[in-house]
Amino acid sequence: MSNELRFDGKVAIVTGAGGGLGRSHALLLASRGAKVVVNDLGGGFTGDGKSSRAADAVVDEIKAAGGTAVGNYDSVEDGDKIVKTAIDAFGQIDIVINNAGILRDVSFPKMTQQDWDLIYKVHVLGAFKVTYAAWPYMRDQGYGRVIMTASAAGIYGNFGQANYAMAKLGLVGFANSLAIEGKRKNVLVNTIAPLAGSRMTETVLPKDLIDVLKPEYVSPLVARLCHESSEETGALFEVGGGFFGKLRWERSSGKTFRVGRAISIENVNDAWKDITQFAKTTHPENITASMQPIMENLQAGPSKGGNALIDVDAALGYEYPPMEASYDERDLALYALGVGAAKDPNDPKDLQLVYELHGQGMKALPTYGVVPAINMMFALGKQGKSAPGLNFGLDRVLHGEQYTELKRPLPTHARLTHKARIKDIFDKGKNALVVTEFTSTDETGAELIKNEVVTFVRGAGGWGGERGPSADVNVPPERAPDAVVEEKTSENQALLYRLSGDWNPLHADPGFAKAFGFEKPILHGLCTFGFAGRQVVQKFAPDGNPDYFKSIRVRFAASVMPGDTLITEMWKESATKVVFRVKVKERDQIVISNAAIEFFTEIPKPAAKAKAAPAAAKSVPNSGDIFRAIGTFIGKNPDTVDRARTVFQFKLSAPDSVWTINLKDAPGGVVEGAGAAPQCTLDMSDADFMAMATGKEDAMKLFSSGKLKISGDVMASQKLGFLKKLTPEMVIAEMNKRLGAGGGEAAAAPAAAGEYQPTAADVFIVIADHLARNPEMVGKVGAVYLFKIKDPDASWTVDLKNGAGAVTEGGTAADCTLEISEKDFLDMTTGKADAMKLFTSGKLRISGNVMLSQKLDFLSKIPQDQAKAAVMKVRGGAPAKAAVPAAASAPKSAAAPAVIAALTKRLAEHPELRGEIAAVIAFKVTDPAAAFTIDGTGAAAKVSDGVAANATTTITIKDGDLQALASGAKTARDLYQHGALRVDGDISVAHRLGFFKGLV
Amino acid sequence: MTRRINVIGVGMVKFAKPGQSDPYNVMAAAAGKTALEDAGVPYTEIEQAFAGYVFGDSTCGQRAIYDIGLTGIPVFNVNNNCSTGSSALYLGAQAIAAGAECVLVVGFEQMQKGALGAKWDDRTNPMDRHVNVMNEVQGFTGAPGAAQMFGGAGREYRWKYGTKRETFAKISEKARKHAAKNPYALFKEYLSVEQILASEEVFDPLTRFQCCPPTCGAAAAVLCSDDFARKHGKSKPVYIAAQAMTTDFATSFDEKSMIKMIGYDMAKAAAKKVYEQAGIGPDDVDVVELHDCFTANELLTYEAIGLCPEGGAEKFIWDGDNTYGGKFVTNPSGGLLSKGHPLGATGLAQCTELTWQLRGTAGERQVEGAKVALQHNLGLGGACVMTMYRRDA
Repeated sequence: MSNELRFDGKVAIVTGAGGGLGRSHALLLASRGAKVVVNDLGGGFTGDGKSSRAADAVVDEIKAAGGTAVGNYDSVEDGDKIVKTAIDAFGQIDIVINNAGILRDVSFPKMTQQDWDLIYKVHVLGAFKVTYAAWPYMRDQGYGRVIMTASAAGIYGNFGQANYAMAKLGLVGFANSLAIEGKRKNVLVNTIAPLAGSRMTETVLPKDLIDVLKPEYVSPLVARLCHESSEETGALFEVGGGFFGKLRWERSSGKTFRVGRAISIENVNDAWKDITQFAKTTHPENITASMQPIMENLQAGPSKGGNALIDVDAALGYEYPPMEASYDERDLALYALGVGAAKDPNDPKDLQLVYELHGQGMKALPTYGVVPAINMMFALGKQGKSAPGLNFGLDRVLHGEQYTELKRPLPTHARLTHKARIKDIFDKGKNALVVTEFTSTDETGAELIKNEVVTFVRGAGGWGGERGPSADVNVPPERAPDAVVEEKTSENQALLYRLSGDWNPLHADPGFAKAFGFEKPILHGLCTFGFAGRQVVQKFAPDGNPDYFKSIRVRFAASVMPGDTLITEMWKESATKVVFRVKVKERDQIVISNAAIEFFTEIPKPAAKAKAAPAAAKSVPNSGDIFRAIGTFIGKNPDTVDRARTVFQFKLSAPDSVWTINLKDAPGGVVEGAGAAPQCTLDMSDADFMAMATGKEDAMKLFSSGKLKISGDVMASQKLGFLKKLTPEMVIAEMNKRLGAGGGEAAAAPAAAGEYQPTAADVFIVIADHLARNPEMVGKVGAVYLFKIKDPDASWTVDLKNGAGAVTEGGTAADCTLEISEKDFLDMTTGKADAMKLFTSGKLRISGNVMLSQKLDFLSKIPQDQAKAAVMKVRGGAPAKAAVPAAASAPKSAAAPAVIAALTKRLAEHPELRGEIAAVIAFKVTDPAAAFTIDGTGAAAKVSDGVAANATTTITIKDGDLQALASGAKTARDLYQHGALRVDGDISVAHRLGFFKGLV
Repeated sequence: MTRRINVIGVGMVKFAKPGQSDPYNVMAAAAGKTALEDAGVPYTEIEQAFAGYVFGDSTCGQRAIYDIGLTGIPVFNVNNNCSTGSSALYLGAQAIAAGAECVLVVGFEQMQKGALGAKWDDRTNPMDRHVNVMNEVQGFTGAPGAAQMFGGAGREYRWKYGTKRETFAKISEKARKHAAKNPYALFKEYLSVEQILASEEVFDPLTRFQCCPPTCGAAAAVLCSDDFARKHGKSKPVYIAAQAMTTDFATSFDEKSMIKMIGYDMAKAAAKKVYEQAGIGPDDVDVVELHDCFTANELLTYEAIGLCPEGGAEKFIWDGDNTYGGKFVTNPSGGLLSKGHPLGATGLAQCTELTWQLRGTAGERQVEGAKVALQHNLGLGGACVMTMYRRDA
């Protein structure tokens, strides 16, 4: 064998080589060319006696087989003598296999110190002595291989082998340190824990097991580790009975307590599961890795404290999983009614809060802004999602303060995404305050609402933490209020209010309320909050217009009962700020204190929708934008890297590009071109990629229809599911970055090859060009068409009726008007979408003479190259790689005729092929169709047109695949297995199609 | 095996199309009660139960068995793809071997319409290694995944031995012929080779009628020790003469062969073990229930388990050695192709059929003088369980 692992020129010492494992190692190394020092004291396995017989027998055996070896009869405790034998005999030492050992098995109480010391001396001291003597030689020559022999008894423990186990695991530590010291000098040190039958193990293992545990099953690993090609060092292997495996340390993810805080026995006991369970683990390979959790804890800084109810370290800064929710006009109306609005149904201002068809438009009561946040809290509670470190129940919690801020007036319906995090935790002595911040963003990703919910946690303080701000804010001035509103709540107010989401039974169930020490169900604090907010807005917002509302802050001081009369006192403190408080008239008790509402001086406008640019200047994201968005996404979501652990490569065609998404090596990232070696490669067209990434096409469908080819690890492609999380906004943001400010214009000039996307305007350029070439169309069609393109908006008139015809931008009157979005228009004219389907699904509206639209089918017949040329001319020679109108791609020239011609020639030149063919084979070629028959049964093989009746085998194949077969790019076998070459009749004939190779 | 395992009761429900069956627990309880009645053993005697199913949330096994009785016994849920039923049987047999006296094994499946698919797309697909082999060898099409795999193996076999398409269809024709006499089967109407070939092509060489249908059903068996059988007056019960289970070997992935990937070597190794344990070979077998999820797999299995030499399947089929009057009767029940394939139930339905055959109570389907029966149940992913049953004369 040429790839045999050889040891020619190497000198090895094997200790304890007179029998068992040592003998086997020595014989194997010698048989592969190593010169071996066979060391054996010749004693019994318990360490008594001495003779040279055992070593000599092995030396003789090696020599008899043509190898080179010398004997040595010293104890390993005289390791320098053994090394000297090697130097004297061979002048060098390359490999040391510390194998010698003895047993003194005895249960621990019966063990003598002599048993302990003797085992230590032979195994540990012996290995030290031999290795120590050999080390300088190996270091100096920059080559050395050392093996320590450990044992399962050392790793796992074994009854009656306490001394032996001590020595064996000692060797592991010894080897691991030597591995570090020797590495730079190419001195590699490894340990094996073998199980093999020998004089030593005869005492502990049954005979039939020992028979399987042949030393010869261990030595190949030892030799592999000692070979010069090996790079393994500091490793530990279990080996024996045919099994070979590497061992490593595994550590539980464990539990880390932040420092600076006493850690009690109970803390450790409570974390026992975390400390001991191996659900999530690491495999430290060196001391640095071992220290990692400690270093991380140091970096995290000292503990912020806490107690059994609140662990500030765990809770502070925690972000809840985001949640989506929506509201609409009905939710707003129900809320407004719940907080007492529209008691007078004829009050136009109040009616505006509850009536979605109001003449001036419906308006949201701004304090509704608190509801989504509260509902998110309830939803989290229902799902059992609590923040780590907050270990108290709802029974301890009171809603202490509330701050709600709107970034702009609430729309009458919205789809929101809420994010929540623990913003602050304060230790108020006996009690604690937890501040949770909620941010709600709208469909465009713009922030709409901010809430801060301050919860008061009874009896949870006292850990000596930060006390937080204590100064009273929004204290009413000494003067008389600027406005006072008195309003009675209704007896069923709480029942009405709870329909907005706070279903706490405390507000509905008399029994439940009693259990909490209330005589009857109490009113929601946030209901009072809504009453007051509505009153202040009515009194002080410019024109009473709620759209001026900016924020509200309140402190809840006492409970309100349904039916109570609320007195709200208001002080206008500045042009934009009103301080207020709420009292219950019946009890003269303040229920809301330290409260204020702020107003905007100018109503903020919603972020302007991207204004439709003129058709010709439309910017369209390209695949590069998507890849860059993926890169940004990965940067923000490093956990995607953890989860996928794969490098993906996308090879896009038309226009061609290559992108590598590295989700394997932290921190991950996206690069254009080939990056890290991919595990999974995806080949597809740029257009299909765009369709897939924008959700228009399903990846699975593209894959199974052959438009997406995946090589490497196919199933890894399932890990690309996170792509669905890319939002259009993220992609557009990347596009805008690419285009720079005012990107619309830049996109219009398709400067770089491959970034060009056709626009509706391009299509009209093509139509104009086509009309110039085909003036007879005017007579044939005889109609004027108006295209009203939407999103971005544009109008084009195609006049195929008057004069020489014309295509002009703009226009109003026409015989037939077509309304369609630019996207659908492009899909329709490039053949991606069917006009009829667009029409029946309402995406294409036709008015005027509907039937005239059928005369537009010429649109899909404009040759593609002609279309491209037309666009290039107008666009100043910019390359237009992407498809411009033309449904049918130009027919490819068929390969079959060339194949038939070449085949005829080849068969004429090589009549002997007849014998190889020896059958009548008919070929049915499809796409485009052709047929021919090869007859190899006559005097000379020949090719004829059509399918011969006497064909014994019929092969059906696509023209393109025939080309691949004839060029040798694919074999018949491969095509067949892929289902691309169908054989009817005798299949063995298909085995003999090799003569096709190289025909074209 | 030192303790003999007896099959003293079997039962099954008539298999049905998805949407036309009872809920899984009703089917499973019916099959289990039938098996207990067949054994003449009250449920209170059952010490452990093993429930096999693939589709359903955790502990469907308990839910099904609770409809038979609530005695607090251990119930194990077993999921091993298409070999689920026989994997449960294997565990039941192990329980008896380990000292249990009497156990109940139930397999059931309430399937949905259409081809099988993966349910969990956010984690490593258990068949990714198999799919990667397939993708490398023959790419990926829109056909149902299992049909691509077994059909691809059929293609590979055809390329090797030049097998006719009719040969594959002939297996399905035989299955229909057998199923016509099985009141429990789903497809009982006869189809000719021509009709089978004319059905829609799923994945060459497989046509629609060469693919087993998604099916709902349940089957069950009661296993017991010799002592138990004696105490309950069972003379000469059917017993398990040998049983083996294998999973994929490296060859499934290393050889880039579709035949190997779909478990040829698993079956071959399981058969070898069974013959060695039983001390008799394929020539002594009278009747076989084997895993014909697709015709291609029945054909390959003939060779894998030694019913015919490698490359000899076509001759074996056309000589009629797989049906009444030939060397063996394979799938007298109609097999997966015609009786139906409710994944979890299949292994126990095979056991049920073979038990009837050995007792001589298989009615019109009876294989004359059947003494030795062989069962082969295979799941991709993968596992293959083979069991040899005997009944003393």
